[in-house]
Amino acid sequence: MSEDWKAEWQPLADAVGQDFGDGTVVFGADAVEPGTIRRYLEPLEIGCPIHYDADAARAVGYPDIVAPYTATMVYSVPPMWRPGEPTLYQSADRDAQPARSPINNEDLPLAPKTAGFFATDISMEFLRPLTVGERVGRRGQRLISCTPKQTSMGRGAFLTWESELVTDRGEVVARVRTGTYAYNPAGPEEEQP
Amino acid sequence: MTSLASHQRSFGDVMVGEDLPPVQFPLTVYRLVVAAGGNRDFNSIHHNTAYAQATGAPEMYASTFILMGMWERLVRDYIGPAGTIRSIRDFRMRRFNLVGSVVEVRGRVRDARRDGAHGIVTLEVETLVDGQVTVGPGTVEVTLPPAGTAGLAGPAGTAGPAGPAG
Repeated sequence: MSEDWKAEWQPLADAVGQDFGDGTVVFGADAVEPGTIRRYLEPLEIGCPIHYDADAARAVGYPDIVAPYTATMVYSVPPMWRPGEPTLYQSADRDAQPARSPINNEDLPLAPKTAGFFATDISMEFLRPLTVGERVGRRGQRLISCTPKQTSMGRGAFLTWESELVTDRGEVVARVRTGTYAYNPAGPEEEQP
Repeated sequence: MTSLASHQRSFGDVMVGEDLPPVQFPLTVYRLVVAAGGNRDFNSIHHNTAYAQATGAPEMYASTFILMGMWERLVRDYIGPAGTIRSIRDFRMRRFNLVGSVVEVRGRVRDARRDGAHGIVTLEVETLVDGQVTVGPGTVEVTLPPAGTAGLAGPAGTAGPAGPAG
């Protein structure tokens, strides 16, 4: 079997160690506020009062309601659409995808175009939780590893990236290392046992 | 407000080797949609069967955000309001957590040590479906207050932008 497809990943593999960020913080869509915290808690049924009761949060030393730690990354996700931008919805096909999404691999530098991706692993270090009123964004996109691999899902590469999550006051509140698999789904003739 | 202290686990309560009460999450389409609305990961692999299958998955499956949130639910239930989370490591998603399954999150105290007045506890956490590990095992490092205190159990700087320790 030809291994040519692996060569397409070599430019990215050669860039391991490089920070693809420009040093700026790319902020999430919304400030931390009680309503969005509540919506994050709802499917998880997290009932700790520091996430919805300001008095309870103050009683343990926080200045106000705090977001769950794992929501820190959620608050760093940019908006789907901003006023003035073209529509996201360009087709009425049932499963048509939005024209753009902040959760994607479209901006993968130096890499071949891939149709699928998913996260494989995450490690996070938290310095503190976010408090109501704060905004957070992502700074840096350092490539830690790039390993081309064919899996039962298709052909692609396992990638590991490092970033910091930074508030609107410039304070680092978390550091995150994220692994992803970017791939082109296997056709029936390519499917692995 | 009810007394927080009555719900607060202290470092002295922790026993290395003890299991955390497991939490089960029946994973319905409804729940996945509520989760997408809450965490804004609207990728169709998490709420659209046909789309997920076109990407090679057997069905729509839980997102990273909801799966990480499940670990926080387990841990927060254990550490109480004054506990803090310092890190989540080796959160490795090994298998899909498919719609229609019951996802269970389990944890165990692997290590407990003192850092000044506070306690640092390392929890081993994993996610299972039908007895198979789907996420982890990874570790979550938390802090707990000493007995008889209700304040934050972290080192200085964990309180917040205007917090007393900041």
